[in-house]
Amino acid sequence: MGGIHIPTLCHLQNQTPVGVCRLCVVDTGARVLSASCVRAVEPGMKVVTHSDKILHARKTLLELLMSDHPSPCARQEKSGDCELEGLAKAAGIAEARFAKRSIARGEDDSSLAIAVDHDACILCDRCIRGCDEVKDNFVLGRMGKGYSAGIAFDLNAPMGASTCISCGECMVSCPTGALTNKGPAGTAICAGQGTEIFEAEELLQIPVFRGVSGTFLELNRGAIVKRRFRKGEVICREGEFGSTAFYMVEGRAKVSLSAPIAHVKTQGGAKGFFKRLTSTLVGREEDRRGEETRDRTIPIDASVDLSYGNPVAELGPGDLFGEMTCMNFYPRSATVVAESDVVAYEMLRNVLDIMLKNKAFRAQLDETYRRRALENHLRGVPMFADLSPEFIGDLKERVELQGFAPGQVIVQQGDTADSFYLVRIGFVKVLENYPGGEMVLAYLSRGDYFGEIGLLGGGDRTATCTALDHVELVRIAGDDFRDMVAKFPSVRAGLEAVAAERRAANQQRLQRVDSVPIDQFLSQGLMEAQSLLVLDLQNCTRCDACVNACAEAHDGVTRLVRDGLRFEGYLVATSCRQCRDPLCMVGCPVGSIRRRNSLEVIIEDWCIGCGLCARNCPYGNINLHPFEVLSDDPQNPGRKKAVIKQKATSCDLCTHLKEPSCVYACPHDAAHRVDPKSFFAEMLGGSGAK
Amino acid sequence: MARTRTTKKLAQRIDLHYFKRPTPLKCAKLWLSFLVPLLALLWIVGRGVSSDHRVYSSGSLSRAHAVLDKECAACHVRQAGAFAAKAADNACLGCHDGPAHHASKIASPACAACHSEHRGRVSLAAASDQACATCHADLRNSRPDTRYASRIHSLPDGHPEFAALGRKAGDSATIELNHSIHMKPIRRGPNGVLVNLECGNCHRPAGVEADLTYSDASYRAATVSSNASDEMLALSAGSLRRPKPITGRELMAPVKFANACAACHLLTFDKRFDEGVPHDKPDLVHAFLLKKFEQYIAAHPNELRATPEPAQELGGKPIPTRFRALTVSQWVTERTAEAEELLWRKTCRQCHALTISRGSALPQVAAANVKTQWMPHARFDHDAHRGFSCVSCHAKALTSTEASDILLPGIAVCKTCHGRGPDHADSRCSECHTYHDWSKRREVTPKFMLPALATGGQ
Amino acid sequence: MRIDRTHRAWAIAAFVMLAAAAIVYLSDTLNAPQGPRGGSVVGLLFGILGFGCVIFAALLGARKRVPTWRVGRAQAWMRGHLWLGLLALPTILFHAGFHFGGTLTRVLMWLLIITVASGAFGAALQHYIPRVLTAEVPLETIYDEIDHVRALLREEADRTVEAVCGDLGLAKSSTEGIERAGGFTALRPIAGAVALRTSAAVSAGASAAVAAARENIRLSQEEGAPLRIFYLNEMRQFLEYPGKHPHRLAHPATASSSFAALRTLLPGRAHGALADLEDICDEARQLARQERLHHWLHGWLLVHIPLSLALVLLGAVHAVMALRY
Repeated sequence: MGGIHIPTLCHLQNQTPVGVCRLCVVDTGARVLSASCVRAVEPGMKVVTHSDKILHARKTLLELLMSDHPSPCARQEKSGDCELEGLAKAAGIAEARFAKRSIARGEDDSSLAIAVDHDACILCDRCIRGCDEVKDNFVLGRMGKGYSAGIAFDLNAPMGASTCISCGECMVSCPTGALTNKGPAGTAICAGQGTEIFEAEELLQIPVFRGVSGTFLELNRGAIVKRRFRKGEVICREGEFGSTAFYMVEGRAKVSLSAPIAHVKTQGGAKGFFKRLTSTLVGREEDRRGEETRDRTIPIDASVDLSYGNPVAELGPGDLFGEMTCMNFYPRSATVVAESDVVAYEMLRNVLDIMLKNKAFRAQLDETYRRRALENHLRGVPMFADLSPEFIGDLKERVELQGFAPGQVIVQQGDTADSFYLVRIGFVKVLENYPGGEMVLAYLSRGDYFGEIGLLGGGDRTATCTALDHVELVRIAGDDFRDMVAKFPSVRAGLEAVAAERRAANQQRLQRVDSVPIDQFLSQGLMEAQSLLVLDLQNCTRCDACVNACAEAHDGVTRLVRDGLRFEGYLVATSCRQCRDPLCMVGCPVGSIRRRNSLEVIIEDWCIGCGLCARNCPYGNINLHPFEVLSDDPQNPGRKKAVIKQKATSCDLCTHLKEPSCVYACPHDAAHRVDPKSFFAEMLGGSGAK
Repeated sequence: MARTRTTKKLAQRIDLHYFKRPTPLKCAKLWLSFLVPLLALLWIVGRGVSSDHRVYSSGSLSRAHAVLDKECAACHVRQAGAFAAKAADNACLGCHDGPAHHASKIASPACAACHSEHRGRVSLAAASDQACATCHADLRNSRPDTRYASRIHSLPDGHPEFAALGRKAGDSATIELNHSIHMKPIRRGPNGVLVNLECGNCHRPAGVEADLTYSDASYRAATVSSNASDEMLALSAGSLRRPKPITGRELMAPVKFANACAACHLLTFDKRFDEGVPHDKPDLVHAFLLKKFEQYIAAHPNELRATPEPAQELGGKPIPTRFRALTVSQWVTERTAEAEELLWRKTCRQCHALTISRGSALPQVAAANVKTQWMPHARFDHDAHRGFSCVSCHAKALTSTEASDILLPGIAVCKTCHGRGPDHADSRCSECHTYHDWSKRREVTPKFMLPALATGGQ
Repeated sequence: MRIDRTHRAWAIAAFVMLAAAAIVYLSDTLNAPQGPRGGSVVGLLFGILGFGCVIFAALLGARKRVPTWRVGRAQAWMRGHLWLGLLALPTILFHAGFHFGGTLTRVLMWLLIITVASGAFGAALQHYIPRVLTAEVPLETIYDEIDHVRALLREEADRTVEAVCGDLGLAKSSTEGIERAGGFTALRPIAGAVALRTSAAVSAGASAAVAAARENIRLSQEEGAPLRIFYLNEMRQFLEYPGKHPHRLAHPATASSSFAALRTLLPGRAHGALADLEDICDEARQLARQERLHHWLHGWLLVHIPLSLALVLLGAVHAVMALRY
């Protein structure tokens, strides 16, 4: 920082500072030297970081520590980066003057992955904080007093017999060789030509890895590799499930969607009278549907978004893509092809995690985002769509990037609204609480926004927003915004109009949603449904007319299956339930499955057919419908080849026909599409209000 | 470890395209749905190929036409080029003649309107009551000037009483006969024995040997005006004749004096003779009498001086003694006059209607006018009813005292047996009436060749 | 379907039409010179109406093949089929004057009688059997997939027994290449589940339940012998061919006593697996029951449909030929 280096031992950038090691002491003019990691800055404070007194104190401290240190410790041997020994060498300490402690604290070899050498432990508390704060495992603690003080696992059980899950966070945090890995984990991302495995020492040379524990890198040898791609090689394909992210170092790559940007449309109405109803893929020009979003951009898991009209973009050095795939194991959102010879680092989640904790790396990511994607995202917000470039440019500078951990609440329903959020990456659950129940309104992903009420100084939050996984948000503070509006008064009217619209829409939505009454339903999740297809088993003759009709109406692939759990004398068929908490929406890598204002589920044109929604749907209501599409044949450039692409489909209530085909075609009055609460009202006893 | 059931797990067991897969049930349904109609089609086509159209028959043929079972084309004549092959009237008229009912030009119905074939082994000729009722249910509609009952639907419904019974004048026959006396036991018979007459002693069906119990052979032998050809009665039924030959036993023969009456009703005329006068015209009787008396006086000339027998004098006055000497012709004339007096005034008059006019000596005998057929528009067959005793229908005979009584039973008697329902005799119109005017029957050229019939036209 | 109040309108209409037809027929019978004849005006009228009813009834099959065409709700068609089909019989009887006539017409009349009778029988079955199915087969599945579900049950039973007794040497089947519902993707099998952070109400039961980690309950050779013998000799065969020969496990009472006996022979930690096996047997029994009921529910169609098609065909032939002659 500013070129002044203050040595630390117990401080780690992502842990709460505790001021244990006292190596970072500075002179603030107080009675004693203050540990700079915990001493709060006051206005007018004069801080001296290097004086003879301080240097002497530090050196003595290091000498004291080195006297007990089993030099060279395991870490120094394996990766040569024991922090204590490094600092000692830098301070010019060759031999400790003090005697070694008499009581050996011993070694613990019980864990399968981590070797514990209590004698090398300097009680810096990093492992404990790592286990508690970072990993939430709470296995490590302190034990003993005086010379016998040390770290302990659970109630001083051997590490291997404790509740330790061998995540390695303690080992990664440890500055010395007290906790080292027993051997490399043997990770192999991929073998083959063009793959180079880094050694720990090499990695440490890379700027973003400075400060990362060498033992960690050793453990994860192979978890990050250098890949070389020739021009034209496919780096990753959309829809594939993966677990790695790519960081471009050299070269340029093209990112695009090879799935047709179209949605499944089944011809219906009068046209369908004489022809079999076929399903085709049509884009927005041919078939405009209500409440489609994202006029301009398709969000993907990279630093740039794709435009709807021409879903192709370029990635260059410094771009990270596959972050969501790596962190949350979602499917790849787009296809990346090398346009020139490319060098990229492919890494697993644990490595990316470490990298993301690195401030410099984060700063770079943020800057790229601001430069390439933020404007598009801002323009995607209706409020900002028509604002002038200067306004947007100004706004871009005022945004703050915030990260959230899984499960962390971003805003609470009822709080005063004072900021606006835009999602850069990750999934945010928007949950609305109302008397008698709660309902998930949406799962927001990259490019979505929430909280615009807060910008205009109005009201309370209408919903609770929680981070589902690794989430990064762009935050615009209300105050800042209001300042800007004062600078550009012309936009105010437009903004207020949009805000009023949003408020009205919120009100409407609240009115539409009823209370959730009875527990019985919960066990089948029936109360989660807003629209059930029930088959009256007393009337049903199991003739499959409904299934045939559904298939006829959807190009031969049925969206309804006549099996499932029963409720009373009804079979709840396997067919989209328009759930209150639409699990299908969680994790869509391109954010194409979402909910309309009418609470219907709609799948947008850029569905890449990865199948995650199908996997997530707990009732199995989503299936992937294959289509044959002509696309460029990589083996024969210039020619096209038929390939199978899939699009996710689920019951669409036959909106292209007058009423659901299954209900229409049942000869025995057995199929009904109903609202479960009102349909089963008598059975549930009364109107259902709690 | 408990087994869990969730919707997704259940759904994942199911093949998305299961309903398109064939199952045994669906296969069977499909195959049968092809096979059974195919079989039916093959059957029809087979019949068509073998030109066997009997399969389209809507019922078996009547008894009379049963021989035409295989020869559909006998009646179902195909017009050239047309598909239709209805059995039109000209098909019937090829073999049959069905003379019209009325001379008047009322539209005649088609043959099939009353005679419908393909109704099983029934009698085709017997048309149903509704066929007749087509016109007769409201006769005034088509013939406003009809004199017949106008609303006849069937025997029980609308059929009027027999017209003969409606005649106020009664039987127009001139023979006096008191049936009730004859039906009682009669003391006086020719042999003095009590005779008990039965209907059959006098009345026999025509064409049958007469019952000669009470006949007189001498009269039977007489050929004068006793025409044996009367025994065979040709029916004159007005305008309606029967198409079929009659047995002759349908009606009762007129009662002949020689057969039925002669044994009791003697035509004696004089004590001198045992025999009676011939049952014949008055002039013949007169001639007979003259001859007889002449023969007698020639044989007994002493009778010329006839002394009137005191027993013969019935005046009660003192009998003058006289003798009379008469010439032969006088005597004959006297005797004839006496005999004729007896005959004309008593004997013959007992049965016949004699009128003695002033001018002539001989009376006029009214023609007997005995009706043998009382129902001109219907046929009645006594032979068919021979099982019944005569009085069961003709009960009136037992109590009939007047010759003018018409002893024809009323229609109510017929209706005792003839009515609707299984436990009655047939009461259809065709039982008694015919439609066609068989008096105008033409002969039809026969046209079938035996081989063709046997092979069904192949 | 249940024949209930909702059929009232159709039933009343049909009855009224029948009454009207009866009146017309009776008056025709009494007045017609030949009595009731198919070829008379009234007879032809009845014939056309009757055949019209038959054709409409036959069109139901066609209607079911185009379920998405907007030609009227399937329900209305079904009710029309039922009631007009029923009406066809008396109408045709009126047409024929209750005579069976010649060969073709006799065949037709019998076809009609059998078809209508089988239809009425089928309607009764459809009224009654769904209720029986619903009540007696709670674990009902789709009939066409019963074989596959049975195979899955076998596999599940295999796994359960193998967890207790060790490998039995049974072949593992694979059903690749079939598109299974519930998240079907054509291009790749569905990978393992990602942990979902969702509202509690949903997670409570709706999501595919993650089974708790199975504890190790492997028995020794002798301990597990009774189960192994029972399974290999009896239960597996039962699961493969439930109807093949009368089987102990085919009846709930004898099956439960078999399992009760097994429970006494096996140690306590195997009882969980036994309970699962008993469940599986029960499910197999229910599937067998479902098969039988399904055959009843749909078997009559094998008579009804082919005969009705023959009826339509021959009826058309009769109509043409009778008018010809």
